[in-house]
Amino acid sequence: MPELFATLSPQDWQAIRLTLKLCFYTTVILLLLGTPLAWWLSLSQSKLRTAIQAIVALPLVLPPTVLGFYLLLLLGPHGAVGGTLEQLGLSHLAFSFSGILIGSVIYSLPFTVQPLLESFRRMGPRPLEVAATLGAGKLDQLFSVVLPLCRGSFIIAATLTFAHTLGEFGVILMLGGSIPGETQVLSVLIYDHTEAMNYAQAQQLSLGLVISAFVVLFIVYGLNRRFEREALL
Amino acid sequence: MTLSVQLTLQRGAFSLQINNSLPLQGVTALFGRSGCGKTTLLRAIAGLDCHADAEVQCGAAIWQQSSRFVPVHQRRIGMVFQESSLLPHLTVAQNLLYGFNRLAKDTLIQLQPEQVIQLLELTPLLQQAPEQLSGGQRQRVALGRALLSQPQLLLLDEPLASLDQQSRSEILPFLQRIASQTGIPMLLVSHQLDDVVKLADQLVLMQDGRIISQGPLAQQLLQPELAAIGAMSLLHAKSHGSVNHLQHLSIGKQQLQLPAPQHGDTASYSPTCYRLRIQARDVALSLKPLSDSSVSNQLQVSISGFNSAPHPAETLVQLTLAGQPLQALLTKQSVERLCLKIGQPIYAQIKAVALD
Repeated sequence: MPELFATLSPQDWQAIRLTLKLCFYTTVILLLLGTPLAWWLSLSQSKLRTAIQAIVALPLVLPPTVLGFYLLLLLGPHGAVGGTLEQLGLSHLAFSFSGILIGSVIYSLPFTVQPLLESFRRMGPRPLEVAATLGAGKLDQLFSVVLPLCRGSFIIAATLTFAHTLGEFGVILMLGGSIPGETQVLSVLIYDHTEAMNYAQAQQLSLGLVISAFVVLFIVYGLNRRFEREALL
Repeated sequence: MTLSVQLTLQRGAFSLQINNSLPLQGVTALFGRSGCGKTTLLRAIAGLDCHADAEVQCGAAIWQQSSRFVPVHQRRIGMVFQESSLLPHLTVAQNLLYGFNRLAKDTLIQLQPEQVIQLLELTPLLQQAPEQLSGGQRQRVALGRALLSQPQLLLLDEPLASLDQQSRSEILPFLQRIASQTGIPMLLVSHQLDDVVKLADQLVLMQDGRIISQGPLAQQLLQPELAAIGAMSLLHAKSHGSVNHLQHLSIGKQQLQLPAPQHGDTASYSPTCYRLRIQARDVALSLKPLSDSSVSNQLQVSISGFNSAPHPAETLVQLTLAGQPLQALLTKQSVERLCLKIGQPIYAQIKAVALD
């Protein structure tokens, strides 16, 4: 194995670093956005809820190219968001790291929201009502009740989000292209290597991804089992 | 302390209309059939549900009025829910201190953790996890936890409903102890008349989303709605100690002797006043005192009225004993045979009494 990775080029290492950076940022942003969203979905009685839930699940069914296509239109120089940014003297977001980060956040949203929503529903409102009657405010409830009770689901949501972003390809290719150090993540680089007939290099990176994805999923399912046992106790 | 509540609510066919002031002293039972709106009212008082246009005032504190709504965690309440509500990721000790550790710095601490742990006999449970406890133990911990948040008002939402008969009778003495020793007013939601009669001082009777009457329990028991469930009376008697396992009691000038309660663990706890629960069907009446009867508790009472009983052949006779009401369930035939009239002095033979 060490010999295998010894032959990685600086470009490969750059793509690995970029991929990890993208996964990390996506996970952090999604935990911050997904927690309140899942919370709202678990409590809301409003008719809007069904619509929001469908939108959250869209990335599961849409081809990534469709998602990437619309994001490209939206974030590009002539899109609503990109155009506005240009007018403000900033640059549009297509073919940039910020652009693919936004794409990843949307693409991996269901992988954060689903496990959290599930565990919030399982917990129910009672523990929070109890905490409130004992003098705990909203934020206090989040840290002293929700986080410890749904700990397992937070870990699973974070891991799944990270792993799913690792495997992202279509959205990034559509929206970010393949700019080294900016948007050329592992999956895109593997594609480039293959196109250029560099099968050996593509093979190294692919094998690395297979192994790391397996390890991540192994951990997730292990945790899942453990937390299920805890929940049964 | 007075609790004023104004609450109007329409949910499909169910409507709740409350505009009442409830004087809170000791244990006030909020009694009514399932689905009459008791829990909805209790949750509105606690602030767990926010209903538009509701008004809640507890003593001097305004908890809800027009746009003002004090959130639950800022109301000085302790609440015990119907089913186990211990936080599962905390030990018993951590659960107990959850509210205590969150008290404002200037809170006057009236109940220390040691006191509550002793009062509710929680010492052996402290290091256990909630899932290791029995239903009754969990409710005891939940009670202790609520008490330690130093509440102005203790709200109990059917705290015994999820318990089996044995756990129920295990936890009742603790509720009685809390009521008599802490002085914190309690509002107890219940649809079990038995529990209410063992605990409550005041009774608020709810029916179809309305409060139809309220007042001291002994008087409330005369309400036809309650008599229909099981006519009984509540007498308060002074204790004069026990001799040969017989508890000597007095009501006014009259004496009673009853088998003394056998509480192994509460031997040191001898109340000066007992509550006597007497089923109306356990009271017989005679025009003259009986000397050749096995019934030893014979009280001189006077007839204050007659009420219809659930059964068409029976009548509830209202009696007065040293100012306290007592009910006897007789057949109409007996009432006619004895020529009973209002104001008539008469002898009541009491066949069975439950002592609390």
